[in-house]
Amino acid sequence: MSYESPLREPLVTGGKTYADVTRDILRPMENKASKGWWIGFTISAIVLGIWIAASTYTFLTGLGVWGLNKTVGWAFDITNFVFWVGIGHAGTLISAVLLLFRQKWRMSINRSAEAMTIFAVLCAASFILSHMGRPWVAYWPIPLPNAFGTLWVNFNSPLVWDVFAISTYFSVSLVFWYIGLIPDIATTRDRATGFRKTIYNFFSMGWNGSTRTWHRYEMIALILAGISTPLVFSVHSIVSMDFATSLVPGWHTTIFPPYFVAGAIFSGFGMVLTLLVIGRVVLKQEEYITLGHLDAMCRVVMLTGTMVGLAYITEFFVAAYSGVEYEQYAFINRATGPYWWSYWIMMGCNLIAPQVFWTKWARSTPWFIFIMSIIVNIGMWFERFVIIVTSLHRDFLPSSWTMYTPTIIEFMILLGSFGLFFTLYFLFIRFLPTINMAEVKSIIPTHSHDKHADHAHAEKGDTLHG
Amino acid sequence: MHTQRKEIHYMDNNKMLLGVYDNPDATFDVTKSLVEKGYDVYDVYTPFAVHNLDRVIGVKRSRLSTAAFVFGMTGLVSAVTLQSYTSYFDWPMLIGGKPFLHIPTYIPITFELSILFTAFGMVGCFFIVNKMFWGRNTNVIDLRVTDDRFVIAVNIHQGKTDVNELSSILTKGGALEVRERINEL
Repeated sequence: MSYESPLREPLVTGGKTYADVTRDILRPMENKASKGWWIGFTISAIVLGIWIAASTYTFLTGLGVWGLNKTVGWAFDITNFVFWVGIGHAGTLISAVLLLFRQKWRMSINRSAEAMTIFAVLCAASFILSHMGRPWVAYWPIPLPNAFGTLWVNFNSPLVWDVFAISTYFSVSLVFWYIGLIPDIATTRDRATGFRKTIYNFFSMGWNGSTRTWHRYEMIALILAGISTPLVFSVHSIVSMDFATSLVPGWHTTIFPPYFVAGAIFSGFGMVLTLLVIGRVVLKQEEYITLGHLDAMCRVVMLTGTMVGLAYITEFFVAAYSGVEYEQYAFINRATGPYWWSYWIMMGCNLIAPQVFWTKWARSTPWFIFIMSIIVNIGMWFERFVIIVTSLHRDFLPSSWTMYTPTIIEFMILLGSFGLFFTLYFLFIRFLPTINMAEVKSIIPTHSHDKHADHAHAEKGDTLHG
Repeated sequence: MHTQRKEIHYMDNNKMLLGVYDNPDATFDVTKSLVEKGYDVYDVYTPFAVHNLDRVIGVKRSRLSTAAFVFGMTGLVSAVTLQSYTSYFDWPMLIGGKPFLHIPTYIPITFELSILFTAFGMVGCFFIVNKMFWGRNTNVIDLRVTDDRFVIAVNIHQGKTDVNELSSILTKGGALEVRERINEL
């Protein structure tokens, strides 16, 4: 049904038929789990155990087990929160923004990127919970009448906006993901037997592939994409307002919203690359996630990395130009103060390193892209660390200047959050199709081996083909 | 055939002729010519959305977009009501000298709730109009239709539909198989 110019590189290579797509994508789910899957899943589950242990210890003992002090009241927790929320932006960006721009290369990667989004937002939410110190009162930011012992929440506070933004983003992303999954769950259902069939039948909601259903499906997919696009931008803008609406030098910056959004896209694509460069080989999906896909994502990484770098430099300019002494000191302290190393890790990883993607070799060498994606992840973690810790540790009163050192518990929670993320991700690749089969089938040229091939692009409806 | 089936749709009896294809283009062409020749095409089942097929078989433009707008507005009104009621009417609190009714700070939550209501309301309506719910058992017209087959289902009206001609159109269009089915959909 789809016609692409023969000059263009095909989005799916290997001359796949529709049946090939179904078979290839469902292979990891329909066969017994491989040894590699068990090893990966076990390691992730053990690391998840570290997260559970460290969080439980924190909750039982109190936030005193962290390295926070009265000057640096936000540190690892919020760094990790912003880090994970940022990663959680690529999925919806890929599926929504690229859908609106009709970028068909999104179709092989949107499912796993959306899954990644949902799991990353869960990790982010876990840091909000642990940061509160008393997770059993985590419902307090929800506007409930004061019969619960609280007053109404303060709607002037960006922290309350954040509660709404993150929970809306999580639930809308989940709905968007599930809607996209329904036709593929139906495909799985129709090939499954026994207990698996019962489960997939339950979640397929009676999908039957009717044109009427597809008509409505396409419409809601477009509208969901349309509303998710501003949602993605709003969420990280609001996260940035947690800082930007404060008066702390280094936070009190109007460029934060676009700068954070660019950073979120950057880190999100970094994480997508980390997962897919490995995943496409392990799941034997090189023909679906081609070097062309990696190339496109590397370009996005380079562009957004440069935007983030521009923002770093702009901040310095604005601080110098503003003439505000506190602001100027905050930035000089970032680059040359006691935390200078974290600043230069950030600069090196986010602005300088991605420039290698100007070369074709860098964009088309998977092992190199993998290393780069790790560098991007590290760089973006340090960006948040720099913004949060270096701004706080030396503020207006030199008498309260101090240093922040994370404790082993905080490291365990950070490490453990990766366990949470990867455990969920391994479960996902075992039980759900990692590539949107229905969409990928729609971009495969009406198959070449088919006996109708010569008529495939004939003018529609004028004749019947015999 | 005398058992009463409650879900019989607009037809004289409940028989359909199915043409099974492996090619979306052939499916599209055959469907179009069937519609033009006045056959009652009940539905076409495809593994992915075949564009324009909905228009050819005369599916009316869905009103889900209107529903989405209505839900979005509901979200907007709810958000404004919630925020102004709580922070102005019910329990005004002086925080940092800011006004009690401070419209600009309501914008983010208003925006988020509009999106939330739009998404959930619209998707809820989508499930309702398609009669989709968790655990629903469906009688798929052909198991392969979610894999790589395209099925055109044409209603047979006793005495009106020339089954032989219909069958030959379906076959000539490239059908892999043509068979009859009692409609239970």
